[in-house]
Amino acid sequence: MAGKSGRTIKAEQKLTAKQLLFTWEGALVVLFIAVNIFNMSISQSYTLSNVLREMPKYLAEIFMLFPMAYILVLGDIDISVGSIVCLTGTVTCYISNAGAPFPVVILGCLLTGLLCGMLNGFITTSFPELPSMITTLGTQIIFRGIAEISLGGGGSVSYINTKQIMPLSTKLGKLVPVIILVVIIVAVIYTVVLQCTTFGRSLYAIGSNKVSAYYAGVDVQRCRFIAYSLMGLMAGMCGLFLTAYTYGANTTTGQGFEMEVIAMCVFGGIASTGGKGTLIGGITAGLIITLLRIALGQANVNSQMILVVVGALLIIAVLIPGIKGRIDEMKKLRSAA
Amino acid sequence: MPESEYILELKGITKIFPGVKALNQVHFQLKRGEVHALMGENGAGKSTFIKVITGVHAAEEGQMLLEGKEVHFRGPKDALDAGIAAVYQHPTTYPTLSVTENIFMGHEIIRNGMIQWNEMHGKAQELLDRLHANFKPSDEIGALSVAQQQMTEIAKALSTNAKIIILDEPTASLTSNESEELYRIVDELRDGGVSVIFISHRFEDMYRLASRVTVFRDSQYIGTYDVNSITNADLVKAMVGREISDMYPKPEVKIGEEIFRIEGMSRTGFYKDVSLSVNAGEIVGMTGLVGAGRTEVMESVCGITKADSGRVFLNGKQLKISKPEDAMREGIILLPENRSTQGLILSWGLGKNVTLPIQKKLAKSGIFNDAKKENEISKKFLEQVDTKAVTIFDPASSLSGGNQQKVVVAKALAQDNMKLVIMDEPTKGVDVGAKAEIYAIMGDLAKQGFGIIMISSEMPEILGMCDRVYVMCNGRMTGCLSREEATQERILNLSMENSERDGKEEVQK
Repeated sequence: MAGKSGRTIKAEQKLTAKQLLFTWEGALVVLFIAVNIFNMSISQSYTLSNVLREMPKYLAEIFMLFPMAYILVLGDIDISVGSIVCLTGTVTCYISNAGAPFPVVILGCLLTGLLCGMLNGFITTSFPELPSMITTLGTQIIFRGIAEISLGGGGSVSYINTKQIMPLSTKLGKLVPVIILVVIIVAVIYTVVLQCTTFGRSLYAIGSNKVSAYYAGVDVQRCRFIAYSLMGLMAGMCGLFLTAYTYGANTTTGQGFEMEVIAMCVFGGIASTGGKGTLIGGITAGLIITLLRIALGQANVNSQMILVVVGALLIIAVLIPGIKGRIDEMKKLRSAA
Repeated sequence: MPESEYILELKGITKIFPGVKALNQVHFQLKRGEVHALMGENGAGKSTFIKVITGVHAAEEGQMLLEGKEVHFRGPKDALDAGIAAVYQHPTTYPTLSVTENIFMGHEIIRNGMIQWNEMHGKAQELLDRLHANFKPSDEIGALSVAQQQMTEIAKALSTNAKIIILDEPTASLTSNESEELYRIVDELRDGGVSVIFISHRFEDMYRLASRVTVFRDSQYIGTYDVNSITNADLVKAMVGREISDMYPKPEVKIGEEIFRIEGMSRTGFYKDVSLSVNAGEIVGMTGLVGAGRTEVMESVCGITKADSGRVFLNGKQLKISKPEDAMREGIILLPENRSTQGLILSWGLGKNVTLPIQKKLAKSGIFNDAKKENEISKKFLEQVDTKAVTIFDPASSLSGGNQQKVVVAKALAQDNMKLVIMDEPTKGVDVGAKAEIYAIMGDLAKQGFGIIMISSEMPEILGMCDRVYVMCNGRMTGCLSREEATQERILNLSMENSERDGKEEVQK
C-alpha cells in the first residue's frame, strides 16, 4: 500500500547558520556575549574569580528555574514556590537545631519541598478545571502562613550549629563553590529530560494541545503531577542552599522568587501559554540576568535599579516575537501590493 | 444602458500571495435572485475568491462589476456598504453577548450618542421572525446551537440590507434537520430577491438549492454548469481533474471471526445498554443523528471517558480500559472526529504528530527519543497515505483539511499493534479527491483483516463502504442492518425517535 502518486516527503532538515542565529536561543547567546562585554566595561572587578565568588548568592533560586520551565511548557504556572522556599528553609533550621545529623537535615528539607509540590500537584490534577494560577496562589498563602506560624513572634530562626551546614557554602579547590557544581549537575539532568526524553516530549504535547495529547495516549494528569512535585523538590533545594548562605530563615525568605524565576523562563523564550521554548534558552536567560546583577552590584548601582533593568528586559523579550510578527506581516502586505 | 442580467460579475481575477497564485484568471457571474453553488477541492481557491468579493483581499488583476458598474473595495466595510455580506462556516460571533448585540455589532443604532436598545431589539425580533427562528433577541449567543448561531449571522447579513449573501460551508456542522431548516431559509431569501453564493462540499446541498454551479480547481476557473444538466460524475471530474471510477472501493473480503464485542455498555446521560460486535475484515458503520451518542460510546471504548457499566471484549478477552493509553496498548485505535482539536497538534511538525502515540516504543530504552527512527517511521507512513507535504517537519497547520486527515490516518497506521480501528467522521470537511483516498485506505485495512468501525452521518459513505450498519437514536442502539438490508429510508427510520415507528427492524434482528 504505497503512496499512489509516488510522492516522497523529505525527512532531513538542515538549519543554516543564519536560521540558527535567528532562533530565540541564538539571539540569547549573542546577548549573553554582549552583556559580558557591557559588564566588563562598567565594572573593573568583573573577573572570573570575582564572579564565581559572588554568584552563589544568586544561584539558590536558579534551582527553581528548571522545573518552572517544565510547568510553563505544560501551559501551567506555579506561584507558590517562594513560599515553599520559606517553609522548607524554616523546617531545615528547626530540624538542624533539634540536633539531627546532616543527612537527615538535607532529607527533611527536600522532603518538605517535595510534599508541598505534591500537594500542588494533587490539587491541580484533581481539579483540572481550576486555573493553576489560583490554586497555587492559595497554597502560596497557606505555605507562608504555616512558616510564619512556626516562626512565631520573632519571625526568624537561625542555625545554632552553623558548622553542620557549612559544607553547602564552601568552595571546592578554593575556587568553585559547591552550589555551582550542584546547579550544573541539576541543570544537565533537567535539560536532558526536557529535550531528549519521551517525558519531555509529552510536556510539550500537553502544552501545545492538551486534548490531542490525551487522545494520543499521553497521561496528562500524571505528567502535570510529576512537574509540580519536581517544582516542590527544587524549591526545597533552593531553601536548603539559601539558608546555608544566610544562616537562617525569616518570614520574608523567598519572597518574590516565583516571579523572578518565571521572568527568567519567559525571557528565555519559554512561553507562559505552553508548548514553546527550551531549557537552553531559559538557562542562558537566567545566566544573563544573574551576571547583570553581579556587575551592576559591583558598579554600585542601586539594587532597585537592577530590578528596573530586569523588568524592562522582560517586557522587551515578550514584545520581540510580536514585533517580528508585525514586520513579517508588513513585508507580506508590501510584496502583495 | 440596460440593466445587467448579472448582479455581480468578476472577470479575470488574479490574486497572488507571496510565492503562490491563489487565484489565476477566474471568472464568476451571479444572476439576480439566483442561488449559485461554488465548488472545488480544499485549496482550490474558493475561500480566497470569497475574500476578494468581500474586500478582505485586493486582487492584483481583474475587474469586479456590481450591477454592471465597476467597483473597488478597499476593505470589508466597503463590501458591506455595497450590500455584500458573508456568513462563514464557523460563525464569528461574540459568545457572551446577546443575539441583538451580535446582529448589530459594528452598526448599532445610535441616536444622540446613545444606543437605542429597544429599537434594536425590535428590529432583531423582526429579522428573527422573518427567518422563523425559535430563539429570542435577548438570548446569549454562546448558549445557542451552531445552527442558531448561523441563523443569527444570516440575520446580521439581512440587517445590513444585503443584496448578495455568501454562505461558506454552512451545512458542514449541521444535522440533517438543521440543514433542512437552512435550505428553507435560503429558499426564502431567494424568493425575497437576495442572490446567494453557496460554498459546500456536499452534493445534496447543491442539488437541493442551487440552479447553477461554478467549479474551481487549482486556483483556476474550470466552468459554470446548470445543476440540472450536469451529472455527478462530470462534476467530480471537473473538481478533481480526473475520473474517480469508484468512489467507494469496497473490497470483497472474506469476513473472519468476531474480534471485538461490546455488551450492555451504559453511561448515564449519554447512552444506554449499547451492544455491538465487529468481525475481522469487516467495516461496520455507526450512524444516527448528530448527538445520538455514537461518538460517546466509542470514546468510552477508547478510554477517553468512562462507561458506568458494560463489558468490552477483544479477541474473546475482556478488557479493562480506564485511559486512552490502555486502549492503544490493546490495539484499539481511535481517529477522533475533530482533527484540529483532538487528532493533531497543529503547531507541531507532521512527523512528531505521527510518532507521538508510539514515542515510548521507539525511544531508546523506552526513555530517550530516537529522532532517526521517528523520522524514518513517520516518513514511511506519511508517504503511504500520500500526504501532500514537502518535509515531515512542515507544521500540521499548513496542510489542507484532507491532508490533515491523512496525517491522522498515518498516525493510526504507525501503531503496529493495531487490531481495531475506529474512525469518527473520517471524511468530514474533506474534499472529494481525499475522500476517495481515505476510502481506499479503509478498504486496504479491511483486506488485511483489521476490524473497522466508521462513525458517520453521511449516508452515501455508510451505504457505500459498510458491511453492516448500526443505527443509534437518543443514546440507544435502535437497529443493525446488513449491507443488503441497508437503505437510506430504513436507516433514517431507525435514527428518528418516532413513537409510531413499528419497530419491525428491531424485532427482526
